[in-house]
Amino acid sequence: MLFRMAWRNLWRNPRRTAVVLTAISVGIAGCVLSMAINLGVMTGMIDTAIRSGLGHIQIHADGWDDNPELEVRLTEGEVPFASALDSIPEVRRWAPRLQAQGLVASARASVGVSIVGVDPERERGVSVAADSIDEGEWLGEPKRLVLGYKLASRLEAEIGTKLVISAQDLGGELTGQAYRVAGIIRASSRDLDDGLVFLRLEDAQSLFGMGNAISEVVIVTEDRERVGLIQQKLQSSLASGSEVRTWEQLEPLLVYMVQSFDSMAWIMYAAVFIAMAFGIANVLLMAVFERTREIGMMRAVGMSRVRVVAMVVLESTLVTMIGLGLGVGLGLVGVWLLRDGIDISTWAGSLDDYGIESVLKPSMRPRDMIAPLLIGALTAILSSFWPALRAGLAKPADALRRI
Amino acid sequence: MNIETRLAWRNVWRNPRRTALSVAATVFALVLVIFSISMADGSHEKMIEDAVRLSSGHVAVSGKGYRHSMTLEQFVPWDGRVEAAIEKADSVRAWAPRISSFALVSLGDRSHGSMVIGVDPEREAGVTKFVSRVNEGRFVDQNPGPGVREVVLGRKLAERLGAAIGDEILLYGVAYSLETAYELFEVVGTMALPDPRLERNLTIVHLDVASEFYVYEDRITEVAILADSAGNAAALRTELESVFAGPLGDELELQDYEEMMPGLVQLILIDDAGMYIMLAILVVVVGFGILNTILMAILERTRELGVILALGLKPIALFRMVYLESMMLAGVGLAIGLLIALPPLAWLNGMEFPLGGDLAQATEIFGMEPVLTFKLIPSNPIFSTLTIVVVALLAALYPALKASRAHPVDALRSL
Repeated sequence: MLFRMAWRNLWRNPRRTAVVLTAISVGIAGCVLSMAINLGVMTGMIDTAIRSGLGHIQIHADGWDDNPELEVRLTEGEVPFASALDSIPEVRRWAPRLQAQGLVASARASVGVSIVGVDPERERGVSVAADSIDEGEWLGEPKRLVLGYKLASRLEAEIGTKLVISAQDLGGELTGQAYRVAGIIRASSRDLDDGLVFLRLEDAQSLFGMGNAISEVVIVTEDRERVGLIQQKLQSSLASGSEVRTWEQLEPLLVYMVQSFDSMAWIMYAAVFIAMAFGIANVLLMAVFERTREIGMMRAVGMSRVRVVAMVVLESTLVTMIGLGLGVGLGLVGVWLLRDGIDISTWAGSLDDYGIESVLKPSMRPRDMIAPLLIGALTAILSSFWPALRAGLAKPADALRRI
Repeated sequence: MNIETRLAWRNVWRNPRRTALSVAATVFALVLVIFSISMADGSHEKMIEDAVRLSSGHVAVSGKGYRHSMTLEQFVPWDGRVEAAIEKADSVRAWAPRISSFALVSLGDRSHGSMVIGVDPEREAGVTKFVSRVNEGRFVDQNPGPGVREVVLGRKLAERLGAAIGDEILLYGVAYSLETAYELFEVVGTMALPDPRLERNLTIVHLDVASEFYVYEDRITEVAILADSAGNAAALRTELESVFAGPLGDELELQDYEEMMPGLVQLILIDDAGMYIMLAILVVVVGFGILNTILMAILERTRELGVILALGLKPIALFRMVYLESMMLAGVGLAIGLLIALPPLAWLNGMEFPLGGDLAQATEIFGMEPVLTFKLIPSNPIFSTLTIVVVALLAALYPALKASRAHPVDALRSL
């Protein structure tokens, strides 16, 4: 009964209600769409980081976190690791790596870089490095290296150029070795394009005097959302002396970024909804005023104050919820229309400095709907407060006397 | 006051509660828009300021081809001619000569690749923040004695090497002659920098020491030049271009911060785009609120409008009256909004507030200091006010057309 009255009241002045609904749905649709694009940018940043070598999970020897040096190494050899990793079904692919710092020099220049020794075939499965070869080929033959195009241009190196890597080996001695450029990477990632030099694992192990030891194992799992569970499984099945960490623990800044995105989303929704609340309150107030006589009549025939208030609140809730539904629907249509992404590379192609891709793809999670729903409900109640009070407090006799 | 204006003003206050709500919505929107824009302007200015004061200033002079290769091979001849030319330019706030290259820095059995910058400490203090960012120990001495080789390390680099003040570290690099260069240096200080990448990757020595280490003689790699403000960088560049015209200029290249850090400029652009979209949504919502208020005011006066028309007021006058109502409504809201927004912002202008929690950590990704700053540029309130005026004009269009098209007889008959 109350519901039916509220519903009919709403459509008494369809034009007025339509304007309010348009305002709410345009506002919400805009929020949903811009939030989705923002989230897409961030998901893209995380994906880029994961694909450029971070992986989902990394295994290191104890102490890597404080001191990522050659001496902190995994010496188990490949076989025991392989069997432990292969026995966990969620581990999709894994690859061993050796990580070290060094200086790479051509006849023209020298640059400080990170040197990564990789198993060429296994690395192909965990990072985009092998698939981002722009010129030449990926590692295969011994005594070859692969580097990014920006680094190559700084060194004036081409395919076949001989480069010398100088570094400190495990024992602390300065060591050096010449390698020929096998391939040049172009990956729109600052690290891959400008900071890393890839060697075959065997070459890196011999350069650094590491024997069979490696620095880390990188793992790509079936499901990024469930890395925590897989991490526990791995930690219990591996020998002590090694630590298993997820990408969230390895790159906490990425997680902070997503968290600060969430608080930003709340602020944005709150601002838009407050602006809406004024509009909704205005319309309701008008509706209550023009019905003063009618409300007086209802009170006179025995409708309680509480029910009058409930009716007004219900009207407000109905408007807000319909607007919210339309807005979210419209926003989702927008997200769907933009599913291929917005290409901004023509005017913003250098964002890979910050790990941002130049195609903005909107992305949504179910929990992104919580903020608009909660704030929407709050708005409905807040904006109906004054009109409802006004309607509920009206004395039947006064109200009937007016107009 | 003519009749329309008087009618409009009285109409606005006919239902004070309704007007109050619409005005409140306008005030809220204007205050929010002005504050958001001033926050963005503040943080963007700070981003640029931080970035140029941790890199090569607003404009850098270097040997032709240096920005591309970043190697010692491209150099600026440091024989007094460049110095004299820079001194001639008026818009230079400060300048500092540099020798930038790479070296492997090692202590014991730990080593790390790092950028090595040779600086003139006094001049550098005017251009970058490296000197003031020393968190432990001191900066390298202005006048190093013969054989004294001091070095200041980025905090994270020192941590990784396990280096403390007083330790001797080995720098291993490639000299200008392409021969290997290595030398022991004494760590005299560490720097805490807002950019973690730089903290891991920066080693500073004295210009003369760097020159000796890289056997660079009377050459340097670049001169970092600071303009009075980021806005004057382009003017500075133009002035330097004219100063360097001639044979000396042919050996050199000039780059401003926008060219050296295109990613930063684009990050600001994309950040601005996101904010303006949000503000646009907000203003549209408020616009619909104004539309509804005016529309309601017209609809409930249908009979009255009919009478006015029947008495001979021209439809165009009615249109003007409705428009005036909408302008007055917006005008009152804008005046109150400006009164609320401007005084606190004028007071906050330029102040910095430290950020906490996740937000502080998130700013680190972009190499920014975790502080909140406000910057009030005159164009901000002007632009914000004009936008809302335009939205109010658009919102009044439909009600005004509706009012002026009313047919007197129909209008009188309705209700």
